[in-house]
Amino acid sequence: MSSTENVLSPEYKEAVTNLLFQLADDDFLISFRGSEWLGLAPHIEEDVASSSISQDTMGHAAMYYTLLEELSIGKADDLAHLRPASERKNSILAERVNGEGYYMETPQYDWAYAVVRNFFYAQAKKVKIDSLRQSSYQPLAETAVKVNMELYYHLLHWKTWFVQLLSSTDEAKQKMTAAMELVMKDFGDVFSYGNEKAAIEGNQLIASEEELKARWTANMTPIFESLEMAVPAIPEASEKNGRNGEHTEELDGALATLSEVYKLDPVAVW
Amino acid sequence: MSNLTMMTEEEKLEQFVQRIEAGDKIEADDWMPEEYRMALIKLISMHGISEIMGALPEKEWVPKAPSLHRKLGIMAKVQDEMGHGQLLLRVAEDLLKPYGKNRGDLMQDLFNGDLKFHNVFHMDTRTWGDAGLIGWLVDGAAIITQTNMLGASYGPYARALQRICAEEVFHAQHGEAIIMALAEGTEEQRAMVQDALNRWWDALLMFFGPASKDTTGSSKQDVTIKYKIRTKTNEQLRQAFFDKYVPRILSLGLKLPDPTMHYDEENKVWVYQQPDWAEFKKIIKNQGPRSQERLNLRRTSYENNAWVRDALAATVS
Amino acid sequence: MAEKTFYQEYEVFSKRTPSSAFQHQFSLLAPNEDMALVMAQENFMRREPVADIWIVNRKHIRAMDAEEKLTLGRLDNKQYRTTKGYGYLKKKWRHYEQQMLDEKEILSWGGDGK
Repeated sequence: MSSTENVLSPEYKEAVTNLLFQLADDDFLISFRGSEWLGLAPHIEEDVASSSISQDTMGHAAMYYTLLEELSIGKADDLAHLRPASERKNSILAERVNGEGYYMETPQYDWAYAVVRNFFYAQAKKVKIDSLRQSSYQPLAETAVKVNMELYYHLLHWKTWFVQLLSSTDEAKQKMTAAMELVMKDFGDVFSYGNEKAAIEGNQLIASEEELKARWTANMTPIFESLEMAVPAIPEASEKNGRNGEHTEELDGALATLSEVYKLDPVAVW
Repeated sequence: MSNLTMMTEEEKLEQFVQRIEAGDKIEADDWMPEEYRMALIKLISMHGISEIMGALPEKEWVPKAPSLHRKLGIMAKVQDEMGHGQLLLRVAEDLLKPYGKNRGDLMQDLFNGDLKFHNVFHMDTRTWGDAGLIGWLVDGAAIITQTNMLGASYGPYARALQRICAEEVFHAQHGEAIIMALAEGTEEQRAMVQDALNRWWDALLMFFGPASKDTTGSSKQDVTIKYKIRTKTNEQLRQAFFDKYVPRILSLGLKLPDPTMHYDEENKVWVYQQPDWAEFKKIIKNQGPRSQERLNLRRTSYENNAWVRDALAATVS
Repeated sequence: MAEKTFYQEYEVFSKRTPSSAFQHQFSLLAPNEDMALVMAQENFMRREPVADIWIVNRKHIRAMDAEEKLTLGRLDNKQYRTTKGYGYLKKKWRHYEQQMLDEKEILSWGGDGK
């Protein structure tokens, strides 16, 4: 990819790099959270099915980190494991814990939160990927075509859970409603490009924040209508914007765990 | 005598034994003697629940795995363990039907301590070296015992094992890859593997069970061999494990934790120090180093998710 | 506490390619068809191509009991129904300097119309 790199203006490269970090960190953190669920899902068959989605998603993160490596930003594994929280560009939603407690002990994970977070996230990812297929940065457009293939299953899987739980017991409906509130509180930076908005949109790397939000709402509308519910409104902004490196302590916890072994010796072969 | 419903129990048993002797496969809905059904239920529900419990020690290293590639590999591997649990529990559940028991009852049996899980899954995992060692040697031991039952007289179990063993080939290579990277790595990395091997050695020997029931008071190997569910004894399996793995351990420059161990050329057997079988009995009674923590984790997550199963029950159609 | 159960048994079938036949895979527990379908592929076909999946609730399968399986017995005297009973034609055609139209030959005609 060095030829691509040579023809990029510094300003364009900066915008591409930023967007790639947002995409990579989002998929990496949410799949890390998915991996903490492994072995603990409510039903054995579901444990197997949802782990495939976590693997697909971490695979997508690896593709984005590799694009960054090809831009000479750093080694993919270093980018995934060594960057401090202040340099991470994932949305707050992706870094949130699965529930109370550390996964090594007896955590109290919330399946309603998992279903809502993953469904809303998958829908947002779908909207972004559809737009990225027309990205001005060709390697990213090509990656988007590949990622798109696996999103059909992710969406069907989480939509099925979302609709079924909301069509079942009162207890389930309560838990799902509470989970939706939690998820939407963090939804303000999901479609944000942070301080890079002008550069990312101006260089036609992806559609505008406003356009993507409108498409997300449009895609969600028939599903919510079938449940006789209104699509929750995406907040204008959030308290913290992950795209600008603003994060919660929950991200610190995640980074400490995911890099624990790698940091023992980052130059060793593992 | 062609009318099956008219046959006496003795005649049914005789026909059943003939079928097994002829290498025929018994299916879930076929008549089978109580002793056979009970032996299968005991074996397969323990095998299945061990996969589900066995996912937990390795899972401890899933979020910590030291690269994107390793994170993906170990996720896929632990996912397979859950998948093996799914296959085996389905087989056990069909056998339990005459007793009106289902998967929920098996989980309760586990929590009550009535259903045991394999000794290796009660152990501590302290470093990434343990994650590699489990993949390499615990799975290696499991491959030896599982391939021994590929020809099992019970068709559904044999078919589940066929799927499982096909995936175990990936598990073996996944474990070898981790161990080899460490063995070829820095001094600290090499020390990590040796330390893991030292700590896991006794558990690996115990994995195959005692050589005879004189050691621990009971053994299910006799009845499973009688009904052609498996062919080799515990000791034969342990020896097969040594045959395959001792040369590999040594070739990587690792030391056997048992300095007295050697191959007796004359009798063609490995001579080794017996593990502490009293400790084995304690471990499988859920008094191992991590037994209670892992059971607690399984129980808590099962109970926390009870509302999901209730919700699904409301969507039955 | 007697838990209400959602454990319906579904048999899973799949085909590898659009042109291959459906093959039985295994069974799983799910509350309904939609849920069974979203779990089927990843449980049983994680490492192979899949072109289609069928889900069948076990209660809709009419299986045979041991008594009924006796109806499957059959004598091995039906060569007249198979090519085995007509093998002698090979030699006869040779007499007329023609090749016998065997299975291999006939099934090859569907190919590229040679």
